[in-house]
Amino acid sequence: MNSLRTPFGATIALLSVTALLYLIIPIAVVLIAPLGETGYLSFPPKGLTLKWYQAALADSRYVDSFLNSLWIAGWVTVIATLTGVPAAYALSRHAFPGARALEALFLSPLILPTLVLALGLALWFNRMGFVAGTPRLIAAHLVLCVPYVIRVCLPVFRRFDRSLEEAAANLGARPLHAFVLVMLPVVRPGIAAAATMAFITSFDELVLALFLADPARPTLPVTIYSAVQLGFEPTVAAVSGLLVLLGTALLLILQWLNRNASQ
Amino acid sequence: MQGIGVGRAQSRVQWVVIALLAPCLLAYLVLFVIPQVRLLGGSLIVDGSPGLAHYQRMTEDGYYAFLMGRTLLAGLGVTLITLLFGVPLAYWLARMQSRWAGFLVMVTTFPLLISAVVRSFGWMVLFFRNGPVSQLLMAVGLVDGPTQLMYTLLGVTIALAQVLLPLMVLTLYGVFRSIDPGLESAAMTLGARPTATFFLVTLPLARAGIVAGSLLVFALTISAFATPSLVGGARANMMATAIYETALELLDWPFASALATVLLCAVLAVSAAYAVLVDRGRHDRPTAS
Repeated sequence: MNSLRTPFGATIALLSVTALLYLIIPIAVVLIAPLGETGYLSFPPKGLTLKWYQAALADSRYVDSFLNSLWIAGWVTVIATLTGVPAAYALSRHAFPGARALEALFLSPLILPTLVLALGLALWFNRMGFVAGTPRLIAAHLVLCVPYVIRVCLPVFRRFDRSLEEAAANLGARPLHAFVLVMLPVVRPGIAAAATMAFITSFDELVLALFLADPARPTLPVTIYSAVQLGFEPTVAAVSGLLVLLGTALLLILQWLNRNASQ
Repeated sequence: MQGIGVGRAQSRVQWVVIALLAPCLLAYLVLFVIPQVRLLGGSLIVDGSPGLAHYQRMTEDGYYAFLMGRTLLAGLGVTLITLLFGVPLAYWLARMQSRWAGFLVMVTTFPLLISAVVRSFGWMVLFFRNGPVSQLLMAVGLVDGPTQLMYTLLGVTIALAQVLLPLMVLTLYGVFRSIDPGLESAAMTLGARPTATFFLVTLPLARAGIVAGSLLVFALTISAFATPSLVGGARANMMATAIYETALELLDWPFASALATVLLCAVLAVSAAYAVLVDRGRHDRPTAS
């Protein structure tokens, strides 16, 4: 049915290849445009140089906000995993009244506009006198990242064969031991995928950071957002290009985790 | 004796469940429930006393109806574009026998790992006056002079559709994979042409997934901020960018809260429809397969 020889198969293939190009071209542009030698951004680039990439790596604005984003995303990942994994475990193992409503509550921040979350949090934090930029941004990112951890972990925990845990319990293992020794080795790739999702979400997040980050210590998406609005300097394109390379590296890590999970 | 033991074990299980859920519940209460309820409440307070003045202002000033209309129009446009490309791509990937299939699924999900800010920046480079898109359109003779898709709703729609396309494809990929290819072969054995088979057999079976994917993309489009802000700017404002300006540039937080509440209600309506459909799909599945 997918044969290229039928008009139908050819149409499907043509639209699919167009879709793939549509997905990839804007990202490729970001990677290639800063290779040009001109002091303004043009595409296709004129000449070939790595000087803008070098300039990006030497620019303390970008390096500092990159490190700040890493720091924030690191804390968010640790806290979101430690909060979300136990909750997902409880939801997957115990049927109690209101469990489905609780699951819906836990996942609901994923569908709400981040801007609305940001507005509510900014008003609430100001009211509470919680003004320290970095800690309150970490707290705010938990609202987006804990739901991701729960959403990724729930199906993994539900798929886990419960009789293995029961067997461990029958052999005298306490629940925590049964979890750590029997379940954890099996679900670990799932938890790693959830943590990676939390990290990417926090690292790439723009809106909460615009509202809540310390103005003196912006995150990388905020720095890029502000720079792009001011003009098309090749350095900011190079920073974006470096983020594309980082995304590629993360993709390979996720692929590797997936392969381990399916084995 | 045994009864007491079971009772004790059960109450211990209850405490374990509560202890496992407590940190998460506390975080949601402090960081999600209270701020959002206060946001809704704040939009109903005018100069210290309850009132609907913020909402009245929204209905009296035609600009906000226009803004909402434009946001919904973008939602519709993005949904249609993601369907046009998402349905064939997801179907193609789901039925692909080649060993490239895994790699191509990876390519499709790859943009999700790149910040929307960076992807929007790519579109800005492509869209700018005399940029590659303008030159391409001139070369094929679609336009006479240099065109500018920056700061237009069309540009925002094209860019947002690219940002959200992977989610549509991932949703539909799972749906098409769950449809037995044997049904398609059966239809073709009975004489249906491939096109007829696709539209009369495959698509009806995928209907629930297509509607779910569309609602997801629609909800995310009307909530989007980064792409409308960068590609659209002030000249192609949407709800989210207007809320941002009202709060952080005009510092009119109560009115921003009212606008946010309207956007929230629109998104909740879409996701309620989504939840009903997904739920129905879950109940339908045993009879459908």
